[in-house]
Amino acid sequence: MSDLTIAQSDIDKLNEKDRAELRQFFANEEQKTKIQSQTHALTELCWKKCVTSNIKNGALDKNEQSCLANCVDRFMDVNIATMRALAAMGGRQH
Amino acid sequence: MESEGVKQAIIRQAREANSQSNARLLIEGINNSCFDKCVPKPGSSLSNSENACVVQCMEKYIAAWNEVNRTYIRRIQQEVGNQQIGNH
Repeated sequence: MSDLTIAQSDIDKLNEKDRAELRQFFANEEQKTKIQSQTHALTELCWKKCVTSNIKNGALDKNEQSCLANCVDRFMDVNIATMRALAAMGGRQH
Repeated sequence: MESEGVKQAIIRQAREANSQSNARLLIEGINNSCFDKCVPKPGSSLSNSENACVVQCMEKYIAAWNEVNRTYIRRIQQEVGNQQIGNH
């Protein structure tokens, strides 16, 4: 998103309404990008755990599919547990 | 109208840049995962069966990406919902 090639003179032409719309657009895109980038990381992680046999065809089987969904959910559980433990730790130290 | 045109151009460029970087990350993941999976012992060339494996692995990896994305979004929405209930 940093390599936009729009001239400053063009950007100056934007009216207030379009500026506001663009701010909203970029906020949405940013959120989408975060979700996508986390999906990439999780896919690599969960692929290692869930796709353990040799590739026989291009589709996911039922076990792999449910393993992937569980993998994402348990990863999020760990995420939340870590935050809680960290908060509890901070609470004790201060 | 001038402003509208500039806005549309910015949106188009941003979407393009995002979709390129998303594709690059996906290809990177496929390369890493499918090389690992399909070429356990690299020989002097890629064999026919290794080639076939790579094609199937790619389809499977994309299916896995979609499943992970779906689950992740569902979970985020669920957590946001829980937070909102907690706040009231």
